[in-house]
Amino acid sequence: MMNTMREYFAGIVNSLEHKLEVDPVQTRTARRKYALETARLGQRLYSGTERVAWCGVAAPFDLLNALDISSCFVEFVGANLAGSGMVSTFLDRAESQGWAPDSCAYHRAVMGAALRGMMPEPDVLVATSAPCSAGVATLENLARHFGKDLFVLHVPQTDSPEAVALLAQQIKEMIRFVAQRTGTTVEPARLREAMLLSNQARELLVQVYHLANRVPSPVSSNDLRDLGIVLPLFFGTQAAVDIARGYRDELLRRVDTGERALPRERIRLMWIQNRIQFRTSIERTIAHEFGAVIVIDELNDVTWEPVDPDDPWEGLARRMSGMPLCAPAEQRIRHLRNLARSHRVDGVIHPCHWGCRQSLGARGLIQQGLGEIGVPMLDLAVDCIDTRAFSAGQVRTRMGAFLEMLAQRPSPWS
Amino acid sequence: MYYLGLDIGSLSCDAVIIDGEGTILAWAVVPTGARNRRSLARVRAQALENAGLPADSVEATVSTGYGRDRVDGRLAAVTEITCHARGIRALLPQTRLLIDIGGQDSKVIRLGPDGRVAEFAMNDKCAAGTGRFLEAMSRALEVDLETLSDLDMGARSGLTLSSMCTVFAESEVISLLAEGVEISEIALGLNRAVAQRLRAMVRRVAPDVAGLPVSMSGGVAYNGGVVRALEAALGSAISIPEKPDIVGALGAALIARERSRQVR
Amino acid sequence: MPGNSKSRRYIGWACAYTPLVLMDAAGFSPCRVLPMGNPPDQAGRLLHETLCPHVKILLDRAMSADLPPLEGMVFTTSCDAMRRLADAWKPARPQDRVFLLDLPTDRGDWARRYLASELRRLADALALWGGEQVTGQRLRRSARQRAELGSLLHELARLRATGRLHGSAAVLQRLNNQAATLPLEEATDVLRSAAAELRQEPDGGTDVPIYLFGNVLPDPDTFALIEDCGARIVDDDLCTGSRWLTTTHFSAAGDAFQELAAALLHRPPCARTVTCSEPVAMARELVRRARACGARGVVCHTLKFCDPYLARLPAIRQALRDEGVPLLVIEGDCSLRTLGQQRTRIQAFVEMLV
Repeated sequence: MMNTMREYFAGIVNSLEHKLEVDPVQTRTARRKYALETARLGQRLYSGTERVAWCGVAAPFDLLNALDISSCFVEFVGANLAGSGMVSTFLDRAESQGWAPDSCAYHRAVMGAALRGMMPEPDVLVATSAPCSAGVATLENLARHFGKDLFVLHVPQTDSPEAVALLAQQIKEMIRFVAQRTGTTVEPARLREAMLLSNQARELLVQVYHLANRVPSPVSSNDLRDLGIVLPLFFGTQAAVDIARGYRDELLRRVDTGERALPRERIRLMWIQNRIQFRTSIERTIAHEFGAVIVIDELNDVTWEPVDPDDPWEGLARRMSGMPLCAPAEQRIRHLRNLARSHRVDGVIHPCHWGCRQSLGARGLIQQGLGEIGVPMLDLAVDCIDTRAFSAGQVRTRMGAFLEMLAQRPSPWS
Repeated sequence: MYYLGLDIGSLSCDAVIIDGEGTILAWAVVPTGARNRRSLARVRAQALENAGLPADSVEATVSTGYGRDRVDGRLAAVTEITCHARGIRALLPQTRLLIDIGGQDSKVIRLGPDGRVAEFAMNDKCAAGTGRFLEAMSRALEVDLETLSDLDMGARSGLTLSSMCTVFAESEVISLLAEGVEISEIALGLNRAVAQRLRAMVRRVAPDVAGLPVSMSGGVAYNGGVVRALEAALGSAISIPEKPDIVGALGAALIARERSRQVR
Repeated sequence: MPGNSKSRRYIGWACAYTPLVLMDAAGFSPCRVLPMGNPPDQAGRLLHETLCPHVKILLDRAMSADLPPLEGMVFTTSCDAMRRLADAWKPARPQDRVFLLDLPTDRGDWARRYLASELRRLADALALWGGEQVTGQRLRRSARQRAELGSLLHELARLRATGRLHGSAAVLQRLNNQAATLPLEEATDVLRSAAAELRQEPDGGTDVPIYLFGNVLPDPDTFALIEDCGARIVDDDLCTGSRWLTTTHFSAAGDAFQELAAALLHRPPCARTVTCSEPVAMARELVRRARACGARGVVCHTLKFCDPYLARLPAIRQALRDEGVPLLVIEGDCSLRTLGQQRTRIQAFVEMLV
């Protein structure tokens, strides 16, 4: 079974390498390099030869990369199964073994993959208490399934100084824990180098997001999709720096030449949390019928300061606890409002991913918070993973009605 | 100059023809059935016949409803949310909150002072609180939809249904009947269950209904029992246009008229 | 519900991990806000429909001013739903003081240190809310009183298990609810007289002994319904049942905050708490307790949309199956409403065990 995924990722790698070779300078290069790196990570995870750590979304991947451990949040597998069009059989399998259809399909797909022998056996597991308790539960279940050791990083929900100091200590403990279980050693020079690379990637990302934030938008709805959540997987490596630089250069060129995503941009949208992970025509339809473009995703933002390469622990702790997705709703809404203002968005799409208590739980609060600054929000009511639950007609009606409504009202920023 | 609005819903296809002043000349309603293209042709032909107009006299057509993209020769396809809001603005201009219970979904639309959509909520994937739900219940009670409408009359307290899932509610109704519970009590319980569901959606777009003129569109507005239960749940009277099931098609026709003028 | 006594100062709480002794020691009366009452119809404005009914009913109570006079509300970060409830409480009741206690996910040494620092932060907040300074001495005193309450509840549960409590499980649940909401002294008096007055000769019933576990189930009528189906609940592990009261033993010289943190983390766990050294440890613990109380079957009542329980159920189901212990899972919404339709399932399960 593992071969299927190995071949799947190998196929993507080959095709992208070929495209980049025959057509190295064209408009989608940055996105392709990013997709290539993601597929290579998939290859490493499924290689059967590399050390693997399954993690929570907020884990400090730069540290794990510095130990040469292929590490990834488990939701990556759910997303890839959805993207490959194979997810339904894994969801069916998990459900037949008692995994509730009311739970998050990212996690249900992962458990389905584990039950079908399609989840690489990890050397160690590192859960993060935020963003969601369902993610912790999934890692706990995988630890039981594989009989491997689990470490839980607690992401504080308060801004007390003790909380950050204690998380910093915990991160140090985590690294020792992982090193011991994987037979690796923490080399200070390597750690320092990883932190410098993380800081470089961070600096480039600041530029990328700044350049992307032009009116009309130089980025299409898909150019930067899921970048803010996936790129941290490569932090601490040259790959993250190269991807970010690729985007920066590409955007510099577009801004210089006045290239824009749509010939006539009429509606600017923000997308909350993650995108739908399987193929839909949503982005194309909204561009074609309404002149609408997704100009910003909630997670595409740099919310942390550079980390001190000689003493990274507190900086990493602050980066983790400052992730808007991990924070209480008040902080998250503040961040969303800032993004809405700075990107002059006309409306916000909340996919309200079925089963995600963490994100859709606050749906009403977010709607109210954005409404107060005159920005309406749509509850799209989709499952971002479960293709079986996707009703194209319903989604089209919701999206269409929302965009018709936006088209009739003045921009909140005029 | 005549304009045609077509609302291709899951249960019925509705058509409205208006003139250049926006006055309704004719309307038609036919069940959608399994082949909606055929129903579409029938409803269009019937509306034209009712208006006494030839097909080529229609200046522009706007379609709405789930089958809106399947209408040939349309000027535009517009969602039923925008169309219902536009239709009700013509019929009951004071409306600020519109409840539309359709065949497979229900919507609550808050209208701004200008009559435009300010916010809306749609039901989730579950059929509870929709036309389909009531259809299933009338089947369980072995009455037709029209009878269901007044079945709650004379009920004293009504009972609380434990499930809003269409499938479970249906079997619950059957077992209540087997237990000898009065049919009027069950009907009242069903209406209240639908009203409760709608009230939760109303709260999402309008926390306080007091002072907001409420109207209702869609075929379920003919169901007096549901309307009474909704009025009780919201603590507010509900206005219903004479033909609530053609509000969407009327809105589509009015939009056809506006857009074709813009085009010109 | 607490009485109208003017001198009482109530603090609301919602999660069984709330450090009640700390609130006692600060001179407040902790009062659990229970998910009792009508189905929620207001909460959907602030939170989403697919959050657990516990959280939605609590928010509905807050939004309809259906709460006793509270000096403040203490929440924990126990699960996503509880975090979102804390988020929504502020806009729903802007006048309330709210404290969010950050509860560690696991039970290790680091977790104890972190929770101790959080408990200190809570003690400081309670002092700002007009409470007494929390001292080791005050903590020890309230721990003694809580321990007495705990042993009374334990005694009543023992009477229930052996058919010697008049009114059985429904009455025990009513007493649990009172004990969780009334001021400590009043609650102790109520339980003391119940232990004396409700004692009866063994009912000699032939009901099938079952073990009930799950999360929030405060409605006494549901317990009557389960027992009407021919079952006798001989032990339980419920957030609103045997689990809500943590007994703490403070040493004479130790750091009271560290000891309280350790006691909270090492009480019988809710599904949201992880034991890293033994993932889904609650599966084994459940088997052990079900066996110890002589249950012939296990009934799990979990709230709809409760991720922590839904996610651990497959492992629990497997562990019980391996031991040959039958399990019935019912999903509910805190009340009798949806349990009504489960009657047939419960009855069939009990018939299967006879």
